[in-house]
Amino acid sequence: MKSFKGFLGLGIAAALAAATFLPSATIAQDTSTSAASSGKSEQWIHVRVESKEDHGETVRVNVPVEMATKVLPAINKNNLHDGKVRIDSMHTNDVDLRVILDAVRSSRDGEYVTVQSNENDVRVAKSAGYLYIHVTDKSDSKKAAGKDGKTGAKSSSGNGSKVEIKVPMKVVDALLSAGKDELDLVAALKALSAHGDTELVTVKDNENTVRVWVDSKNLAE
Amino acid sequence: MLVLGKVALGLGATLAATGAYVFHEGVIRVDVDEHRQGGSHVHFWVPATVVATGMHFIPKDQLNHTTAEVRPFLPVLREVAKELEKYPNAELVDVSDARNHVRIAMEGGRLRIDAVSEDGDVVHVSVPARVLGDVADELEEKAPGV
Repeated sequence: MKSFKGFLGLGIAAALAAATFLPSATIAQDTSTSAASSGKSEQWIHVRVESKEDHGETVRVNVPVEMATKVLPAINKNNLHDGKVRIDSMHTNDVDLRVILDAVRSSRDGEYVTVQSNENDVRVAKSAGYLYIHVTDKSDSKKAAGKDGKTGAKSSSGNGSKVEIKVPMKVVDALLSAGKDELDLVAALKALSAHGDTELVTVKDNENTVRVWVDSKNLAE
Repeated sequence: MLVLGKVALGLGATLAATGAYVFHEGVIRVDVDEHRQGGSHVHFWVPATVVATGMHFIPKDQLNHTTAEVRPFLPVLREVAKELEKYPNAELVDVSDARNHVRIAMEGGRLRIDAVSEDGDVVHVSVPARVLGDVADELEEKAPGV
């Protein structure tokens, strides 16, 4: 009977130990629940790269926007400081990129640049609060046409790389809100987060597909 | 017999309390399997508490050297750890091709890294996110101003 008491004591001690574990488990559950419940407002940046080459590489990256805004200021390396990136070449070939973006920002909706050539098609436009940049590179399809003859000519309509960038103007504003020759990445991310679901970048060519988008899901599609 | 019972109770309570203290921070799990001749097979579970405690026993010189090397990354590590705790279940990175698969995800508040290669080499690491922040704090505290 007395040894039973000893085992009973052991049982109580084990129960105490279990109780010690319980709070941390409960906290973990609470955190998970609160994260899940607030999941609707959380925005995630997703990057997906799919390669059609030999081994068919696929890269999926999902980063919470909030995490990026907190971590970026902690990185101080090369041109990146305090969440701002210093661009030494804002004046490229006597073209002031900042002035151009500023001009686009303050202008009305419209098509600003349209270039159609044998090599590329370029379109820069502003519409309904978004800046659109579309570039179609036809050089690949020409090479393919040169190589394949008839087949190449047929494929030239579908080949070549295509880049589509769609950025909310508020994000452009935020990006340019830093000092001269600087881009404020953190401000841009915050603006992006407030903007809601957005498809940012799509790049397609014969070998790769790249997609960057923002939504409230914590998993890539 | 009564004495024996009391001893068992005391021993049991001590063991339970020690176990609770050691494990309440979670467990770091590492599994490495190299499926080739002479390849290594490493499997261990370490209570996270041991990491912080173990750092007390690292020689000062060595700790200073390590801290000097990782110091630029400590603020990032601390922020990442703090933020990861907010996302207990999330897939962060997944890279795969016909030969290899690497996955970094949060599962139940633990950062989990899985790497599997075509050759059959497997690496699984699981670390409570909180431990990463603790390590950063501990390194900073142990060798400030290095």
